[in-house]
Amino acid sequence: MDEVLASVAETIKNFAVMYLVDITEVPDFNTMYELYDPSTIMFFFRNKHIMIDLGTGNNNKINWAMKDKQEFIDIVETVYRGARKGRGLVIAPKDYSTKYRY
Amino acid sequence: MATLADSFLADLEELSDNEADSLNEDNGDAEQMEEDVDGDLADIEALNYDDLDSVSKLQKTQRYNDIMQKVEDALEKGSDISNQSIVLEDDPEYQLIVDCNALSVDIENEIVIIHNFIRDKYRLKFPELESLVHHPIDYARVVKKIGNEMDLTLVDLEGLLPSAIIMVISVTASTTSGKPLPDEVLQKTIDACDRALTLDSAKKKVLDFVESRMGYIAPNVSAIVGTAVAAKLMGTAGGLSALARMPACNVQLLGAKRKTLAGFSTANSQIHVGYLEQTEIFQSTPPTLRKRACRLLAAKSTLAARIDSIKGDSTGKVGRSLRDEILKKIEKWQEPPPAKQPKPLPVPDSEPKKKRGGRRLRKTKERYALTDMRKLANRMAFGVPEESSLGDGLGEGYGMLGQAGSGKLRVSAGPSKLSAKVAKKFKEKQYGSSGATSGLTSSLAFTPVQGIELSNPQALANQLGSGTQSTYFSETGTFSKIKRT
Repeated sequence: MDEVLASVAETIKNFAVMYLVDITEVPDFNTMYELYDPSTIMFFFRNKHIMIDLGTGNNNKINWAMKDKQEFIDIVETVYRGARKGRGLVIAPKDYSTKYRY
Repeated sequence: MATLADSFLADLEELSDNEADSLNEDNGDAEQMEEDVDGDLADIEALNYDDLDSVSKLQKTQRYNDIMQKVEDALEKGSDISNQSIVLEDDPEYQLIVDCNALSVDIENEIVIIHNFIRDKYRLKFPELESLVHHPIDYARVVKKIGNEMDLTLVDLEGLLPSAIIMVISVTASTTSGKPLPDEVLQKTIDACDRALTLDSAKKKVLDFVESRMGYIAPNVSAIVGTAVAAKLMGTAGGLSALARMPACNVQLLGAKRKTLAGFSTANSQIHVGYLEQTEIFQSTPPTLRKRACRLLAAKSTLAARIDSIKGDSTGKVGRSLRDEILKKIEKWQEPPPAKQPKPLPVPDSEPKKKRGGRRLRKTKERYALTDMRKLANRMAFGVPEESSLGDGLGEGYGMLGQAGSGKLRVSAGPSKLSAKVAKKFKEKQYGSSGATSGLTSSLAFTPVQGIELSNPQALANQLGSGTQSTYFSETGTFSKIKRT
């Protein structure tokens, strides 16, 4: 996931900025956002948390490692469009409910 | 009648008298012209020339001999560099160089005239040779070698021409329509060849002399293209001021006269390059950039020639700087293009969509527009159940369509533009299937006479319908005569 984020950062820098937070160093939000997984990605727009319907059941975050750069860029763009319109929940372009089933 | 014939004859005699008179007048004019131009130009009106001397007079002139003598002396003396203090125009050597330039042009013209002479004489013997060997000096050499020989296998042309052309010549000679020349004609031809060759060697001497003095006459041009090419350019142009007056496109073409023979490939013949092809800069550029380099060289050498003609820079500094400029430009052309930068994505929704308008867009939108029928079908009357396609509320609802009291007297389907396009495509396919209108029908027809036939003979009759009914007002009727063009 780290490589994907690093390579995508320059491409989406016009509308998204990435912050890396180490939850062992900053444990203040662990209970609030339920940050227990090895990697978690959450989206915020103007201090508001934006939810994404990924089909996994958990709309608040992406808590697995994505491998495809373009998929991730699509999700970020969808979040940006929806958030600018004022929506609190956006629907991801791809469904991840079958993430563990091939 | 006799008097009429006599009068005609008399007219004819008058005419011939007139010709003789005009010929004499022309003679006088031509001679005057010759005297004006130092007798170098050939006597053009002497078409009936058997004598070489009447054609080419250059070698007999005093001017020619003087200059050749001086050139030979100067070549033996070697170059002397000490004359820079004297003003250039007064320097006798400078004058000699100016004369040399004019002379080399004259020699070239003379060679062309002699070439014509040789060609006309040798045409009886070997007419195809002139189209095989274009260069006048090569032609003269070949003629001298072949002489009166009919069998070309006995003649050795090695070293005079490329072997491909020798082969073509031998093949053509075996099927030539020429006959051996009489002795005097042969002798005259050989003399003319000798004269052409001596003129050619004289021109070479002149050019060598000019080349040796080139760095002193035109230092800037020699700095760019080299002394040999500069001498050739100046010689062909007819002097430094003539070279300076030429536009650069002409300078590029000086010395370009390579004509490939018919049948030989033109892949290696470079178009529009002249003496500049022999310069070091041109030879060291990659072939793809040679055209551009030639243009650049011609332009800068023209500038240098202009500076030299007014003696603006006698040290050649400008020439060297121009040469550096040329080399730098050629270097720059060979640089690879800059590397591609990865571009970040634009902000989503920030760029408004480019909406187009106009008649074309309107027409395409019309095809998908909402028709009146659809509008009515979309609406419903209050309290009145609508009819549906499958009945009882199943299927597609018809809305206000077809309802009594709906306010619309008649709603016609109208020409649907979308379906019109589809129908057109369908019709084209339909014509190919010999009149079968539905996909389930076969185009085979079972007829009593032939059995199974591919095209239904009843199809045309069916299209017209029964003869009693009028087809003029029929909604399903088509054209009565369908002719496929």
